[in-house]
Amino acid sequence: MLKLSNLAVHYGRIKALKGIDMEVAAGEIVTLIGANGAGKTTTLRAISGLVRPAGGTVEFEGRTVTGLDAREIVKSGISHCPEGRQIFPRMTVAENLELGAYTRKDKHNLDAEYQRVFEYFPILAERRRQLAGTLSGGEQQMLAIGRALMAKPKLLLLDEPSLGLAPFLVEKIFEIIRAINRQGVTIMLIEQNAYQALGIAHRGYVLETGSVVLSGPAHELRHNDHVRKAYLGE
Amino acid sequence: MLQEFIQQIVNGLVLGSTYTLIALGLTMIYGILGIVNWAHGELYMLGAFAGLYLAVVLKLPFIVALLGAMIILAVCGMLLERLVFRPLRQAPELNMIIGTLGISIFLMNTAIVLFSPNPLSFPTEYSNEYLSFLGIAITMQRLLVFFITVVLIALLNYLIKYTELGKAMRACEQNPDAARLMGIDINRISLVTCAIGAALAAAAGVLVGPIFLVSPQMGLLAIAKVFAVVILGGMGNVEGAIWSAFILGLAESLTAGFFSSDYKDIITFFILIAVLIFRPQGLFGNNVIEKV
Ligand SMILES: Nc1ncnc2c1ncn2[C@@H]1O[C@H](COP(=O)(O)OP(=O)(O)O)[C@@H](O)[C@H]1O
Ligand SMILES: [Mg+2]
Repeated sequence: MLKLSNLAVHYGRIKALKGIDMEVAAGEIVTLIGANGAGKTTTLRAISGLVRPAGGTVEFEGRTVTGLDAREIVKSGISHCPEGRQIFPRMTVAENLELGAYTRKDKHNLDAEYQRVFEYFPILAERRRQLAGTLSGGEQQMLAIGRALMAKPKLLLLDEPSLGLAPFLVEKIFEIIRAINRQGVTIMLIEQNAYQALGIAHRGYVLETGSVVLSGPAHELRHNDHVRKAYLGE
Repeated sequence: MLQEFIQQIVNGLVLGSTYTLIALGLTMIYGILGIVNWAHGELYMLGAFAGLYLAVVLKLPFIVALLGAMIILAVCGMLLERLVFRPLRQAPELNMIIGTLGISIFLMNTAIVLFSPNPLSFPTEYSNEYLSFLGIAITMQRLLVFFITVVLIALLNYLIKYTELGKAMRACEQNPDAARLMGIDINRISLVTCAIGAALAAAAGVLVGPIFLVSPQMGLLAIAKVFAVVILGGMGNVEGAIWSAFILGLAESLTAGFFSSDYKDIITFFILIAVLIFRPQGLFGNNVIEKV
């Protein structure tokens, strides 16, 4: 479904990605783990068109989408739920969700999406008319995920959705990610919490300073010596 | 005394309307493009000349001239965005200042060459019509300024709050990266913002041109006050700009009426400095704390 070949991204002189290869098959949850600054966020930003790659290609459903505008990427079926939530703080919850469906052509037909989002996150239905900036951190994260779902994506990119949340909320978010995946949405998940991520993912990639150093089925990575030492703290 | 007071209130509302219309564009362009447009006063000036030409030379009805000038300046605003602002967006702040300041000087001097530096009068069909009550006479032109400003504010408010375009504009202002992720075309939104901002400045020029005079330097004189308005309202804050425009307009005209017109410009900057000392985020700074 998604294929990155030799993808490189530079910020000025900083080489954030040094030519990585990755593949995501339809229906999978694939996780990207790695330390701070390894290049995880940059990978997602390159896929969703927020940064222009310096080299390499991004293919989505057999079509080369490298360097396309973010708008074209959303329309092709990729939603990016960015690091740090990035909700619109001075707009209501409802308006945030509405903007998630900005590129949808069938705007009169969003009931199913609203229903699905409110099913995953009932609190958002209650808080509909509240300004998003006044929500708690966990609620903002739910809103960010809900907003990304409003575009009805085939592939959902999630950047550290559990960051800064209380343990019981982390648990809940992971449960919902799995539920979203069961409904047929392919997921690429960045996590610092490698233990949890490898728990729900089918496969994983380990990034270190802009390169993929390891990849494989999640259960294998969990038992890999390097991963256990560096990321699972065992 | 009462009559004097009412007269000054009316004057204050006229000034406040002018400041509002100019400040709205300035603050919207800042909020969405991140650019402080030093040439905004010149859009107001060009709007006044466009209106003068349409109404006095072509003898169109005043309201038609007003709409015509707004459309002409909307096109100018789009050209400005495409040719100047867009290339400057990624540039360092100093380049932006020099760029828009350069446009300001260029436009003012072009106007001096084209229209001569002498102020022109701009008579309209409303200049000699009066509304009398409580023994005072107010020209219809002054009432029209306030009335049309209120209508334009209401339209803008509707646009920003309820339309898809307005929501996209707010999204770009609050978080440009997230707006791009929603599939919002930021370039298109910038273009529309500049068109609206320039059209509102033009409306100000056409509305008050007949009350004061029309000259190539009028933009320069207005812009200092309007910057004070925008800073008081909180940079990028549309609602704040409206309130502070009227506060400053009223403060100015009441000062001129009851103390001396020598103090009317001082009061504006006195208020500005006081606010900057005690509330640097502006009188109407955003209170929503963005949680991390
Ligand atoms: N906008 C930027 N400008 C310059 N350098 C950046 C920018 N964003 C990220 N970087 C650098 O690129 C590298 C990868 O960052 P990032 O992709 O955010 O890592 P991660 O998400 O794995 O923590 C880091 O060295 C970071 O400092
Ligand atoms: Mg990151």
